Amino acid sequence: MGRNRWNLPDLGFGIGLRTVHYSYILANHPPIDWFEILSENYMDTGGRPLYVLDQVAERYPVVLHGVSMSVGSTDPLNLDYLKKLKVLADRTRAHWVSDHLCWTGVSGINVHDLLPMPYTDESLRYTIERVKAVSEILERPLVLENPSTYLEFGTSTWSEVDFLSTLAQEADCGILLDVNNVYVSCFNHGLDPEAFIDRVPADRVVQYHLAGHTHKGTHILDTHSDHVIDEVWSLYRRSCQRTGGVATLLEWDENIPSFEVVHAEALKARRHRGLPETDHTRAYGT
Amino acid sequence: MAPDLGNTQKWMQAVILHPGSDHQAVASPRARKLVPASEFPSLIRPSRTLDSFDRIGIYRGMYLARLQEALEADYPGLRHFLGPKRFSDLVRGYVDRYPSQSYTLNRLGDHLPKFIQSSPGIARKDFLYELARFELLMSRLFDAEESPVLTPEAIAAVPPECWETARLEPVAALSVQALRYPVGAYLEAVRQGKPRPSTRRKKHWAVVYRRQYALRWLDLSPAAYRLLHALVNGVPLGEALSGVLRRGRQPVGEVQLFSWFRGWVTEGLFQAVELDDPA
Ligand SMILES: [Fe+2]
Repeated sequence: MGRNRWNLPDLGFGIGLRTVHYSYILANHPPIDWFEILSENYMDTGGRPLYVLDQVAERYPVVLHGVSMSVGSTDPLNLDYLKKLKVLADRTRAHWVSDHLCWTGVSGINVHDLLPMPYTDESLRYTIERVKAVSEILERPLVLENPSTYLEFGTSTWSEVDFLSTLAQEADCGILLDVNNVYVSCFNHGLDPEAFIDRVPADRVVQYHLAGHTHKGTHILDTHSDHVIDEVWSLYRRSCQRTGGVATLLEWDENIPSFEVVHAEALKARRHRGLPETDHTRAYGT
Repeated sequence: MAPDLGNTQKWMQAVILHPGSDHQAVASPRARKLVPASEFPSLIRPSRTLDSFDRIGIYRGMYLARLQEALEADYPGLRHFLGPKRFSDLVRGYVDRYPSQSYTLNRLGDHLPKFIQSSPGIARKDFLYELARFELLMSRLFDAEESPVLTPEAIAAVPPECWETARLEPVAALSVQALRYPVGAYLEAVRQGKPRPSTRRKKHWAVVYRRQYALRWLDLSPAAYRLLHALVNGVPLGEALSGVLRRGRQPVGEVQLFSWFRGWVTEGLFQAVELDDPA
């Protein structure tokens, strides 16, 4: 147990900043610990999104979370993107910048999805160099999240968790452990999610994601459309015992309920961490 | 031989982008060149419940759904006019021709008006083209830089003799439009859930702009359009005014001109008055 290797702070229990909550947040300044910002939504706008972001970053700690870095792609790094990402991180005084262990397109095309990597020696070596290059450009450690995946490559010789852990150690990056994604991917691939959780290097974990999903019977889709299920809370408790608890964030992206409902869902994590109730958790009845 | 990382990615993308069925996508020439169809089941492992086609099919389905959702958000009017089926067909054709090349989905719809214009067999093409162009303009203005707004004090500080040659700098989020169809009214009705208004050809003029981060538009008379168009394109005030006074079929009185001008300033359409350098 102990702190992560960069001493990045435990920001508490936050939620993702979403457009439908802008007015509520600006009007009420709710007592939430922190917000996670979807980087791409604020990189090319001088309009309301940026205005709201500035207000939020003024008042709350923020972390940038992206979906388009494509760190595992064999296309060249998009330097224009990385430059804008750094400007945004500086502007918001983001505590860290995260994206996913995935690729999003190749040959100049963007599929806008978190596509799975083949877990081979070749792709591990390649991704290590890419992560190092990105960290240098961003002038801060990169934090990478395990995505939900729906297929496995027959060419893979590594498990996902060992691939991610080795990458984190060799490229010196942090891990954003999405506990729901662990559950989803393990279900889809017939793997043991507890074994996954137990193999993640605890000192590399700087943040958790929690979310709901959609069970299709034959597979699970990572839709962020519902409450967190009990099995995922149990995995979260298991991981917190190893990491000592780090910044925790609740994602809700489809059928987004009111700010209070999303915040209340995030605050449930306090109980799973064994932390006392706050005025807020009492008010929300979590 | 097993494909390397680069070829695995090129193959998977080719399969995802293919417009046919999952089987057709895997068997397409582009995909087969990278991974022979016979190797497909060993490249994509089946799970307990899904075969290799089902598994890659999940990514294929999500691809189109995601892009359609993004275009629906940018083109609500188009989506409303066409209905779900025709809009979905339009998106399929569009993303096949113009796959995303940007890190942001905000740029995905940039070529949609052009695509509509160049597509054969689209009913009401002229109207749809103008509607799409207008919706694209709204997206651009939504994201334009925020500008300071010209204040009454700044106007009062301009020496009277300088107005003749002064130029007005418009705010960044502004566009003056001459339109052939009532696309603004159509969008407004869609937004408010009102019955579909007429989409018959109707020449009109408007200025679209952003104020306090909300998009708005003002209808303009032909003469007001000419004046504002000249001003936002950097024509000095005196020249722009005399152009309007001279050219219109109906003379425009000075009182009318000043009332327009005051209205526009109050609406925050300008950010600065640029005076000729006295030197
Ligand atoms: Fe996540």
